[in-house]
Amino acid sequence: MIEVEGLSITSAAGPILRDVGLHVAPGERLGVVGESGSGKTLLAMSLMGMVPDGLSVTGSIRIDGAEMCGADESAWRRLRARRMAMIFQEPMSALNPLRRVGDTVAEPLIRHLGLAPRAARDKALALFDETGILDPERRLSQYPHQLSGGQRQRVLIALALACDPELLIADEPTTALDANVALRITRLLVRLAEERRMGLLFISHDLAAVSRTTERLMVMYGGDVVETGATAEVLRAPAHPYTAGLLSARPSLAAHGKRRLPTIPGSVPPPQELPRGCRFSGRCGQEIARCAAEMPQPVTTAPDSWAACHLLQARAKGAGA
Amino acid sequence: MSYFIARRLAGFLLTLWAVSVVVFAVMNVLPGDPALTILGIDSTEEARAALRARLGLDQPVILRYLDWVAGALRGDFGESYSFGVPVSGLIAERLPLTFSLALSGMVVTVLLALVLGITAAARHGRPGDWGIMLLSQMGIAIPAFWLSMLLVLLFAVKLRWLPPGGFPGWGDPVAALRSLVLPTAALALVQSAVLARVTRSAALEVMRLDFVRTARATGFGSRHVLWRHVLPNALVPIVTIVGLQFAGLVTGTIVIENVFYLPGLGRLLFQSIANRDLITVQALVMLFAALVVTANFLVDIAYVVIDPRLREARG
Repeated sequence: MIEVEGLSITSAAGPILRDVGLHVAPGERLGVVGESGSGKTLLAMSLMGMVPDGLSVTGSIRIDGAEMCGADESAWRRLRARRMAMIFQEPMSALNPLRRVGDTVAEPLIRHLGLAPRAARDKALALFDETGILDPERRLSQYPHQLSGGQRQRVLIALALACDPELLIADEPTTALDANVALRITRLLVRLAEERRMGLLFISHDLAAVSRTTERLMVMYGGDVVETGATAEVLRAPAHPYTAGLLSARPSLAAHGKRRLPTIPGSVPPPQELPRGCRFSGRCGQEIARCAAEMPQPVTTAPDSWAACHLLQARAKGAGA
Repeated sequence: MSYFIARRLAGFLLTLWAVSVVVFAVMNVLPGDPALTILGIDSTEEARAALRARLGLDQPVILRYLDWVAGALRGDFGESYSFGVPVSGLIAERLPLTFSLALSGMVVTVLLALVLGITAAARHGRPGDWGIMLLSQMGIAIPAFWLSMLLVLLFAVKLRWLPPGGFPGWGDPVAALRSLVLPTAALALVQSAVLARVTRSAALEVMRLDFVRTARATGFGSRHVLWRHVLPNALVPIVTIVGLQFAGLVTGTIVIENVFYLPGLGRLLFQSIANRDLITVQALVMLFAALVVTANFLVDIAYVVIDPRLREARG
């Protein structure tokens, strides 16, 4: 069980992540979406205690009730792999190229769980089997360069599962894979979360992957959470213009050839150049006067769902009057 | 992979052959008449001619070369002009000392360089890193023979902890090891300064890679990550430099043996040159060259042992 409240990460140049809150219970699957530069990866790294040097982290990160914000490296190290584990975007480079993948997966079993090499190998074989690696027996003694991208990502998932973590953080696990392989990896993650009653934090900019994988969704922009709610609801009826923008920028077969694919103009500005008010102002198509000057407050859109946008505030007031 | 090793082996043998041709050619164009050296300037021309005939020096160059190679392959390098005993015997007597010195120098160099380089990389940009880099810059700037003299002055003359030179023989292992401490230090300190810098930059290069982050995320401590994940991946450039440094180490022993009065091959080489004992010099130069060529061959083999990707790439 992981609970984050008021998490902010600041660099010398300014805030990179502001007032983020989330919780993932065993078996729950939470998605985080946003463009590059929205702070998704930094959020994931902060939950592993692996924020780069020179950034200051404030707020609260509770893991199984223990406050980890400000905890030292050795306290974090004891939780990694055992409580929460992480898989990364680039399966090509995330594995040690000089090691047989079986040895890579056996390493935490030997070092953390104290298994004998023989038992660790058997467990690694079982994990390869569980993560759908083809011909697992032979794969154990192969090197990363002998595997395909999808197989490598499965090896990384097997490695992450080695010490039975309660939370799996997947940072863009499908981005570097082709669509078919990506589909199978997301199915695998859902199955593993359900079977193991393991929490899943799925980070992606791919809305299709997120909708297949998660129950709840958090939309981030420029270091802020701008909208959160049930994944299906948010994607069916986005409350924030940014979420709506992301959705309409998705290619679909039906629209092919009939219209140009709409895009959100520009890209996320660097932290020190973000606007003072709503972070999305300047790129938002529905901007009103106060957007650039004033930070919007969260407006509840459904039970356990909210979005931070001045338009919603105005509409809510209009409905109340 | 076996194809790769076979090709390297062929290259190794070809290089050795080329070296033997060069060594023999150089030694035979050098001025100086061995017969004159052996018999002295008061000897008669007839006596010298007779000796040249006995030594085979009146034969054509090609025949003498083939004779020399055939002998060398059997371990027979001829008879020393100045000592009057077989060269192979002179070498066999002195090889263990030079070998011990080169080996201990290499081991200390590598251990010191890896510890310093990895430590500096782990403290990248912090005072520990600067300190180690400053020390290694000094190590690179200091010549080995000068460092040797400073070490003798401090540890032998002033503190009297270690002998200033000489070698008591392996009959007394403790005394023998004690007399190797300063020569080893003089050899290794300078060599490890270079290697530590290479280790540091190779490690820094590897530390940026994704699998290092994976290892950290798997809950391994920084020491484990550095020594078991980063270092093996940094070994290819390190091993390359070790191979190149081996040549420096071998020539280093020549200088160091003379500074510390160690009766090894380096000293023998010096004496033989002074005595114009060309046949001994020729054998020694060939031996030193063969050592360096062998070291480079081993480095090539080490690449494919270290990196499984190279096994396929190099067939």
